[in-house]
Amino acid sequence: MKNIYKTIATISMAVLGLLAVSSCSFDEVIDPNGPSVDGVLANASKGQLNELVVGVESTLRNGIAIETTASGTMARELYLFDADPRNTGDLLGKNGIPLDNNSFYSTSQWSGSYRCIKNANLLIEGASNTDAITSVEQNGYLGFAKTVIAYELIQMVKSYNQARTDTTDPENIGPLENGEAVLAFARGLLDEANGNLNNAGGSFEFGLSSGFDGFDTPSTFAQFNRAVAAMAAVYSGDGGAARTALNASFFNLNGDLSVGPKHIFGLGGGDQSNGLFKVPGENGDQIIVHDSWVNDAEAGDTRVTTKTAVRPNPQSQDDLNGTNETALYESNTSPIDIMRNEELILIYAEASIQAGELGDAQTALDIIRNSAGLPNKDYGGAPTAAQLTSEMLTQRRYSLWAENHRMYDLRRYNLSNTLPIDRDGDQIYNTLPVPLAETN
Amino acid sequence: MKQNNLMNRNLLFLLLLLPCFVFAQNTITGTVTTDKGDTVPFANVIEKGTSNGTTTDIDGKFSIDVENLPATLVFSSLGYTTVEQEVTSAGAISITMGESAEALEEVVVTGLATSVKRTNAANAVSTVSAEELVGTTGQSTVDGALYGKVVGVNITSSSGAPGGGFALRLRGISSINGNNQPLIIVDGVYINNVEIPSGLRFASGANSGNEENAGNRLADLDPNDIENIEILKGSSAAAIYGQRGNAGVIIITTKRGKGGKTRINFRQDVGINKIQNALGLRPWTAASVLETFGQDAVDQFNATIAANGELYDYEDIIYGETGFITETALSATGGNAKTKFYLGGSYRDEEGIIKNTGFDRFSIRANIDHKISNVFDISSTTNYVRSNSQRSFTGNENEGGLSYGYTLAFTRPWVNLFPDAQGNYPNNPNFSGNPLFVRDNAINDDSNDRVIQGLTVNTKIYTDDINRIRFSNRAGVDYLSNETFVYVPETHQAQQGLGAAAGFVAQGKNSFTQFNTQSALVWDHDAMEGDLAFTTQIGTAYLFQDSNLINARGTGLAAGQTSVDQSANQTTDQFRSEEKEFGVFGQVEANYKDQIIGTLGYRFDKSTRNGDPNEFYGFPKASVAVNLANMDFWSVEAINQMKLRAAYGETGNPARFGATFTSLGASNIGGVIGQSVVGVKGDADVEPETASEFEVGLDLGLFQNRVSFEATYYKKNIRDLILTRQLPPSSGFTQETTNLADLENNGIELAVRADVLDTDAIKWNTGVQFYLNRSEITRLDVPAFAQPGAGFGTGLGTIYIEEGQPVTQLVGSIDGVLTQVGDTEPDFQMAFNNNLTLFNNVDISFLFQLKSGGENLNLSKFLTDLGQTTPDLETQAGQDRLDTPANAARFVEPAGYLRLREAAIYYRLPSNTVKGLFGEVVEGVKLGFSGRNLFTITDYSSYDPEVSVNGGAGLSSGIEVTPFPSNRQVYFHLNVNF
Repeated sequence: MKNIYKTIATISMAVLGLLAVSSCSFDEVIDPNGPSVDGVLANASKGQLNELVVGVESTLRNGIAIETTASGTMARELYLFDADPRNTGDLLGKNGIPLDNNSFYSTSQWSGSYRCIKNANLLIEGASNTDAITSVEQNGYLGFAKTVIAYELIQMVKSYNQARTDTTDPENIGPLENGEAVLAFARGLLDEANGNLNNAGGSFEFGLSSGFDGFDTPSTFAQFNRAVAAMAAVYSGDGGAARTALNASFFNLNGDLSVGPKHIFGLGGGDQSNGLFKVPGENGDQIIVHDSWVNDAEAGDTRVTTKTAVRPNPQSQDDLNGTNETALYESNTSPIDIMRNEELILIYAEASIQAGELGDAQTALDIIRNSAGLPNKDYGGAPTAAQLTSEMLTQRRYSLWAENHRMYDLRRYNLSNTLPIDRDGDQIYNTLPVPLAETN
Repeated sequence: MKQNNLMNRNLLFLLLLLPCFVFAQNTITGTVTTDKGDTVPFANVIEKGTSNGTTTDIDGKFSIDVENLPATLVFSSLGYTTVEQEVTSAGAISITMGESAEALEEVVVTGLATSVKRTNAANAVSTVSAEELVGTTGQSTVDGALYGKVVGVNITSSSGAPGGGFALRLRGISSINGNNQPLIIVDGVYINNVEIPSGLRFASGANSGNEENAGNRLADLDPNDIENIEILKGSSAAAIYGQRGNAGVIIITTKRGKGGKTRINFRQDVGINKIQNALGLRPWTAASVLETFGQDAVDQFNATIAANGELYDYEDIIYGETGFITETALSATGGNAKTKFYLGGSYRDEEGIIKNTGFDRFSIRANIDHKISNVFDISSTTNYVRSNSQRSFTGNENEGGLSYGYTLAFTRPWVNLFPDAQGNYPNNPNFSGNPLFVRDNAINDDSNDRVIQGLTVNTKIYTDDINRIRFSNRAGVDYLSNETFVYVPETHQAQQGLGAAAGFVAQGKNSFTQFNTQSALVWDHDAMEGDLAFTTQIGTAYLFQDSNLINARGTGLAAGQTSVDQSANQTTDQFRSEEKEFGVFGQVEANYKDQIIGTLGYRFDKSTRNGDPNEFYGFPKASVAVNLANMDFWSVEAINQMKLRAAYGETGNPARFGATFTSLGASNIGGVIGQSVVGVKGDADVEPETASEFEVGLDLGLFQNRVSFEATYYKKNIRDLILTRQLPPSSGFTQETTNLADLENNGIELAVRADVLDTDAIKWNTGVQFYLNRSEITRLDVPAFAQPGAGFGTGLGTIYIEEGQPVTQLVGSIDGVLTQVGDTEPDFQMAFNNNLTLFNNVDISFLFQLKSGGENLNLSKFLTDLGQTTPDLETQAGQDRLDTPANAARFVEPAGYLRLREAAIYYRLPSNTVKGLFGEVVEGVKLGFSGRNLFTITDYSSYDPEVSVNGGAGLSSGIEVTPFPSNRQVYFHLNVNF
């Protein structure tokens, strides 16, 4: 009996082993659907690097619609009436409900911006580990990538008041740092990038989209870099540095307010459309202007009529009402400004107040007032820092409506609690929670 | 009796040992007949103790030369008792073989090329016969037909759309992120059960492909072709399927020819589809309209009442259609001793409860078995299917204005949305879509062409009286060509004014090929004078799959045009995959006198989906069954079967295709191609998920099996679950796929069957099933997290993966604290099945199904509350709910139910009547009425507690967002045999 067992077992194992050993060997599996990340990190070709540049510019748009409507809602600039009730619930603290750290409004910008930062970091690593480019060309890639990273980090501070600055190694990311530290890091990185750009020759080895027309060479892109640096400086309360940086930027007190680099949009494959465009008069998916923005405006402010439009029918949802809707963008492929001269003039005004140059501030603010067609063309208030700050914030409120500024402006001046409450039980929040996945 | 047999055999054995002195050739000839006088063709005739043998010819005649006389000849043939005949002199003999009762006994699959009698099986293998599957009522899909018929299975319906959308879970969840659907094998062919996304989400704003309400492609298989379904529920039974067996295996055998007279069956079903449970309109009053929406709305309300006498009940207008169902089937079986065939053709056409929805399927099948010689036999199964469905728009969306439930939640019943005399549909003032426009003009269709071909070749290599060696080869191909088509006219409300981008069309062209082979050498060996039987098998298995999914979309359509070509902006997505797997297996089964049956087996598998495509993973199995009632000492007459059984086995589940890659995806701007990380980080070292299961059970048969009882306890541990865990998004990646967790399932399955009455006047058999499953995550190497794609964040509630908790728990943030608000796993499930036959002419059957416990998250109510249209909002309780925070605790609801799943009454015309009416042409006529989902008792407040907004894949979560409402079906059947 034992023999039978033994024979069966021996033969079986032998044949099994033989089959296993002699079986066909499978080749290493390659993703048929896309290039691998590792492939660009070493010995990348110029073409691969340039595709990353396009990816960086493309993903710079990530999350822009949600970050704008979320912060705009929290700052009572607007409501987003769409199918997601959290836009009129959570963000306004309806019945005391707290902000959720795992909902689209808290995760979308964070992960979108960090994806862009990741692409920029891949670009830096790829450009630093290849023989395909010269060191001058390399400076162009690095200057571009670092400027973008710094810009994105500043956006994180505006929404979350904290961020991680060291994220190059996904297995070993740095700690969450407070807003002040992040701004300091961004300013350092911007200066580094400016150094790279100054040594990057006369032209980039890569192309940028038409959104960067006028800012697509090392020297002109450096003007954008300095504009971002000025913004970071002002947010850090460093008015002097901001004024210096502005001088090297595309800031122009007498120039066209609309000049500046833009996000462009398209409907082709892999592209993004302008998520802040809403069909005029459309119900069910509309950015409704907070009535206070319309009512608080100085009579005759053309920004009220150019940026918004009176709705054919007043809209109400979730016990909220509004008479006006957004008219900021003409179509879902209209560009969105990254920074424009108008904002730089306002930054100049703020920097001047910080630096005690109140006359300069007033000059800048009057330019804005004039451009808005206000009947009282010039600022008529007291020429004190406090009053000018208030005026500066008002002009920012109207010039930069629904461009993701108001919530941060109020927070940095401790004014969030001055916002109106629309419904009993609503709460005011001025900082988005860091996504759940970050806190794990 | 047993004792005597043994003595006889010993005697025969002794005879063989007698020395023989005659060396002349002795030719023995003869005829083998049955006890009824028919000849037995192709019976084996073997000289006992030698390899000398032959077979009978078509007339049952044989001729064999033996060296020595006397000799013992052994006659065997499938379906007959084996006869040993001692022959003392050359010449003609006659042999009579009796039909074997044993041969009719049910067998279950235990190896890849072998089966065992059910009474000897060590696992609780569920078998569903054709009669149980489709004998009661009309069934459109195989998975939908299994409700209440299998212990240990949990079926979730993700859509009430015609053509279904089902998720089968055998013994609980076996994977959090990977495949949870059992492996489905039809006649040896591994078949594809994908849910194919249509790209609809790009118009509706749904979050992912699994929110597009696609059906699963098991729907292509015609349930009426099925002879039986065997279900290997756990790893212990499915171990021999290795790394495809983690979620269990469903083995489907289609009908075969039986030989003899050609029989033709014609069947005609007609039926209707109605919504099962309409929720009704909020009973508005002028006062409540005023309070909710203000004076303008009251004026409209009054105007509508004045004009129509009532409000518009859009729920009834959209979901209230009566769908017409027809099914026509014709089949023929027949053949001779060498060749048998089954030919079947059917056409089913089912309209849904929403206008312009439906499902139709045309299926033809040819199953041929042919015996080439005594050594070779082949069988071929061929099935071609064409199926089409029109599923329209339901489920989750964002700003698409398409999903009916979503739109209805905000639509106010005093607003007239009907088209005017010129056919212009008004815009919906309260939402971004007019549901009547969508129903009449928007399209979400798919069509499938499918060929499933299986081929089996068996070779008898060697046969003597104690050894039978055969080589079994199987190969199968499943080719599926699928097209999806989504069209949203440029005049749709949400599309209007998108300017250049108004109008949406998505055309998907998707092809899938699966190819599998299996070769096994099977050696049956009788030892100890036949008291100990060994069945040994060894073999290899190979699986190849590839897919190519292309979705071309256009926006900005030319007026009335539906071609991607006629659009201003075009996008194309492509996804390709190719995978290969190879395995070797071996198994030994020993059966001692049907008293003790033991099995040992092992399988090695490798897969290109694992990190190392050439690493073999091992999957052992072992089982033992002890038939106490077959033991010599057994003397309890009433108990004819008492079996104790225990089984252990391991299985695997490879990582999903792509889990090993960290890739870049196209991210373009300004018309230039760019590359960006896609957020998903792969793991180049990922290993398969592996499960080990231990199962014990007791089977009892009383009074010659008039009452049978089956009890099973199992414990299944799944290790190295591959999770998509969230990464800190600041790493640039939001998700990573890797081995991170262990999960344990254990449960109990009980089944009782009884032939309660068996008289001429009335026959009644009944069955009760009871089963439950509990899961717990026993290891989680990462902090607890909200499962992506199984919920809407902790704000509204989500499936939450947490150590020490069930994998099916629902968690939400309540006042900032993460709280378990429910669990989608039922406490237990039961089924109660009855079949009655009255006076041999009337068959009555009904099947109740009970799901007790378990919760759903009803987020449809979230939307209707927001739109103020929930039916209970005229009550104080409803109004009070509106004032509570919109969190998971508010929307969780009990999802238990009791349902009359199937019921039927049939009348068989007495044979005299049939003869009188049709003469000899018609053999039998049967007609009857049946119904499906006839009534449901539940506390759940929406359409159906069977629901999943995330389709059938993944955890299939029990979360509801405005699904396609489930239906009730009533049929008339006519069945004619020729």
